[in-house]
Amino acid sequence: MTVTTIAIAIRDVTMEYPSPEGVKHVLGGVSYDVTEGHYVSIVGPSGVGKTTLLRLLTGLAQPTGGEILVQGNRLSGAPEGLAVVLQDYTRSLMPWLTVEKNIALPLRNARLDNARLSKAQVRERIDGALAEVGLEGNAKAYPWQLSGGMQQRVSIARALAVRPRILVMDEPFASVDAQTRFDLEDLVLKVRADFGITTIMVTHDIDEAVYLSDEVVVLHGRPAQVTDVVSVELPFPRSQVETRNDHRFAELRTRIYEKVRGLS
Amino acid sequence: MRRAWNWLLAILIGGWLPVLLIAWWWTSSADSTDPFFPPLSQIWEQFKLNWIWQYWGVHVMPTLENLAAGFILAAAIGILLGVLVGSAPTAARYIEPLVDFFRSIPPIALVPVFILILGLDASMRIASIAFAASFPILLSTIEGVRSTNVVLLDTATTFRLTRAQVLWRVRYPNALPTVFAGLQVGFQIAFIVAIASEILGAGFGIGAFTQMSTDSFMILDAWTGVLLLGILGYLLNILFDIVERLSLRWYVGQKRLA
Repeated sequence: MTVTTIAIAIRDVTMEYPSPEGVKHVLGGVSYDVTEGHYVSIVGPSGVGKTTLLRLLTGLAQPTGGEILVQGNRLSGAPEGLAVVLQDYTRSLMPWLTVEKNIALPLRNARLDNARLSKAQVRERIDGALAEVGLEGNAKAYPWQLSGGMQQRVSIARALAVRPRILVMDEPFASVDAQTRFDLEDLVLKVRADFGITTIMVTHDIDEAVYLSDEVVVLHGRPAQVTDVVSVELPFPRSQVETRNDHRFAELRTRIYEKVRGLS
Repeated sequence: MRRAWNWLLAILIGGWLPVLLIAWWWTSSADSTDPFFPPLSQIWEQFKLNWIWQYWGVHVMPTLENLAAGFILAAAIGILLGVLVGSAPTAARYIEPLVDFFRSIPPIALVPVFILILGLDASMRIASIAFAASFPILLSTIEGVRSTNVVLLDTATTFRLTRAQVLWRVRYPNALPTVFAGLQVGFQIAFIVAIASEILGAGFGIGAFTQMSTDSFMILDAWTGVLLLGILGYLLNILFDIVERLSLRWYVGQKRLA
């Protein structure tokens, strides 16, 4: 018997914005517990509030109601041990820094046993992260010299280098071509297998959600609520060919598709 | 090899007209007896006599020193204030009308005021240069710092960069291309004010030399002063371009790809 611990507890979270047409209720009491070590995808129709929820989870915005607990602590501001990968890699990497310096930037504040990282430790983190995402030899390049897929690998490496306990990704593969997307998905699965980081990903791609996740959370309605939590019990390691041809894969995507469209 | 060819081509394309004009000036002025337009050959002889290197220490160095001190001061003030103001949106709203007013005053008009306050020594020149040149630098820094994209700032926040780190490691480098545009304008103003402050009262400096020469009808000398100013301004601008290109390698490279 395994004891599961909760990495992030989302408790009855509401979010309202003032807008010219009156108060806009985006989230209407969202509750969900993210199990430690799980890969969780949040899906839902466009504009439902996925990105809003993600901004709350990363501390970039504060909920108007309810609370979010990260490792038992109420969230206020960007939590420690959390790293973020955004969709817009062209604007989330610093264009004036080389790949290695981009990765090193967040490490300035990283602490190991209450001490700053030494030069050698920073070097080790950079090299390790670049090796993990398959970008050895690109340390001295500028982001804009790399392809879109490689840039997104850099932002994944930057996130991994801080050794996060929680990884949050907002549509991380939405801006790359289909082949690159498959490669990046498999990269994320490998990272997951290597480090077991609790991961929360927002995506509009149901297939991708099923392929990568332990659990898929469906947001629906206005204001949005959790309308379904689907356990994906497909075996690991997963593969683009076999997993996607599994009949359970098809059943899960059908179920989630109907929930996202509000059909059932 | 290809690079060398491109250089040669650029020099040929950009150089033929100046060469033609100089040749035309040289030949058409060769027999001139007009005291105001002496032959270019005489101007050139006098130029070599004056500036290589007889008056270099007396007149050129003071100008260059004041220019450098004033401009560096202007850059420091403009960038420092600009980063602070630009990252505090409300502060910008308070300061901008004031800045707009002061920079609307033609910079040369301020020189007599500075002479009144500080007298005729180098401190007056440096202060006038710094004052006049700091405005374009300040404004462009504010603009550059303020235009940092939101995704970059969000990323910095989630990686828990401190406020100071966001300022100097995100907002400031992001603003650098815009800052350089301001520095370029500021530098031109600094040059103008440096010379103007000498013309309005000084014993030393290229501006003073040129002014004194015309006052005493030393037309040849006056022409050599003007010529030297043109050459100096041109060379300093080239130097400026080189510094800019070296400091903004990432920006130049990115633009070339886009």
